[in-house]
Amino acid sequence: MAAAATLWPVRADEVALEAGSSGSVRMFPRGAHREGEVIVAFRDGVSELEMERVLRSGRTRRARRSSFGPRVLAELEPGASVADEVERFSAMPGVAWAEPNGLVWVEQATTFTPNDSLYRFQWNLKQVNAERTWGIQKGQSTVAVAVLDTGVAFEDYTDPVTRQVFRKAPDWGDTRFLPGYDFFNGDTHPNDDEGHGTHVASTIAEATNNNAGMAGLAFGCAILPVKVLGPEGVGSFFDVADGIDFAVAFTENGQRPVKVINLSLSSPSFSQTAKAAIDRAVAAGVLVVAAAGNTGGSVRFPADQSNVVGVGALNAVKELAFYSNRGPELDLVAPGGDCESDDDHDGTLDCVFQQTLRFAAVQQGRYDDFCYCGLEGTSMATPHVAAAAALLYSQGFTDVASVRAALEQTAERLGGAPAGGRNNAYGNGLIRPAAALPGYGFNVSSK
Amino acid sequence: MRRLLAAVALLAATALPSAAGELAVEAQVGYFGMTAEQSAKAVFGSSGGLTFGGAVRYDVWRGVFVSGGLRTFSKDGERVFLTSPGAPIQKLGFPVSVRLTPILLSAGYRYAHWKWVVPYASVGAAITAYSEKSDVAGQSFDQDFTKTGFVGAIGVETGHGRLRGGVEVGYSTVSNAIGFAGISKIYGEDDIGGFHVVGKVILVFGEKPPKRRPWRPNFPKP
Repeated sequence: MAAAATLWPVRADEVALEAGSSGSVRMFPRGAHREGEVIVAFRDGVSELEMERVLRSGRTRRARRSSFGPRVLAELEPGASVADEVERFSAMPGVAWAEPNGLVWVEQATTFTPNDSLYRFQWNLKQVNAERTWGIQKGQSTVAVAVLDTGVAFEDYTDPVTRQVFRKAPDWGDTRFLPGYDFFNGDTHPNDDEGHGTHVASTIAEATNNNAGMAGLAFGCAILPVKVLGPEGVGSFFDVADGIDFAVAFTENGQRPVKVINLSLSSPSFSQTAKAAIDRAVAAGVLVVAAAGNTGGSVRFPADQSNVVGVGALNAVKELAFYSNRGPELDLVAPGGDCESDDDHDGTLDCVFQQTLRFAAVQQGRYDDFCYCGLEGTSMATPHVAAAAALLYSQGFTDVASVRAALEQTAERLGGAPAGGRNNAYGNGLIRPAAALPGYGFNVSSK
Repeated sequence: MRRLLAAVALLAATALPSAAGELAVEAQVGYFGMTAEQSAKAVFGSSGGLTFGGAVRYDVWRGVFVSGGLRTFSKDGERVFLTSPGAPIQKLGFPVSVRLTPILLSAGYRYAHWKWVVPYASVGAAITAYSEKSDVAGQSFDQDFTKTGFVGAIGVETGHGRLRGGVEVGYSTVSNAIGFAGISKIYGEDDIGGFHVVGKVILVFGEKPPKRRPWRPNFPKP
């Protein structure tokens, strides 16, 4: 709908010049209005002729009449003072008010859209509003997430004994790795021989905005690879406990960079050994995040522990994934995917896609072939929460309870949960790191 | 309360009619401490700071005066996160600033019996404009509103002639103004008032007070 109507020129030689005639001059801050323009609003019933007489009486070069009311945008002669003309127009008969043509602009929050070639397939990152999150915080390399999993394809390495070749996954770019440990094999090369751990670590910190591959939610943060699961994706509580203690005790330049431990693993049984290690980690200020489990039943250990953030999975349309475990111990949900559906109708199955080992190659005993492959599970949801926590630590959070509370309080309630409430299917809801990062003002919270 | 009113009435009755019509313009600078102390300390690091402003006072009758003034107080800090009072304050680095601009409309009484010092007391309304500004990566978290409360103050003025000085302490309460969100909600603090201590420079216009008749003992003439 067009807003402008009549446009007529006002010849300069017909205009009565009264520059400097006003006594007191209102000052208008430069940049807050369009230079050389004044809005003149006339009283109802003022005739076109009277309007034109008023406009011609000043230093108006031309004018534009609104078609929606008796108001005119007066364009002033070069050099004419907006303040003077506002003052002069305001005092004229028939004029309701005159004011500078103030500027308005969009309230555009900063976002960051990465240029990774396959980013468009990452519905999961859009679901957690990653672009706005990155506009606030991309992660600090001094903050690390320990990924206790099947290892991470983080280095080119040939085992001197077995001659097994491991290759670094292609889209790590500048991602920083801390020297981890392989508790499954007992060495300092926690390389991935299954693919699960590389996929999980990539959700956290795959190289982003490097024109290649995909993105990670906390791509500025570091990864500490800790292998506690073997090539079948199975491990023991003894190794998990050692891995947790290793991550907590890890120091670099006198600092302890590991702020978050990602456990994309679960068990139907309880372990006092693992529980004690988790307690030590939390007491040391490390947030432990664990997968709720993929059996569709109750939340499994260790996600069911009160000091562990238990994570369930959503599909691409923010519904609980069919496999996601549920119960009162569930704390948060995040994208976990559903590789049998295309619920968002984008032509691609709704897996969570990241770089990882090509499974066909793994089956042949090769760990040097990679793909951008899709997986589903609460294992995939968990690193979203771990990454979000790492971003909060990067922003200045220092306290485990605060990080957890910020994520839970700002989560998007789902499944009919009331504001501030929870339910057993979705816990406190879907993480919204962009809402958690701003924290509180004096009398204004995040939006 | 009755005793207080009786004392005020007695003072008014004995007041000199001297200063009626006197007009004074005051410049004020001093310290303001926020009632929302915990919230302020969390966000700004401290709850007080410099305040300055000005006022106009007019003496209407027998030491009774009315005044209108404006002061401003602002603090800059950073956004924080806090789970509950007593929990560690998480400082997040995003700037936040708060400005309080109370318009103070008061009536009071000046006790002008003494030679060098004029004590006074006043009560009135504090129409306080609250402005909070914060930006997080291009997203504004701003709030502006005005809320009316009460202010009371006592002070002394000293000096003769047109230029005088003074000191004032006072307290304002503007309740139910904050505490709806943000850190003030966590602490349950709802008042944007506080106490103030200000020094004044006073420029007096209008009628000069008549000279006091010196006291003479009434001895019988010899």
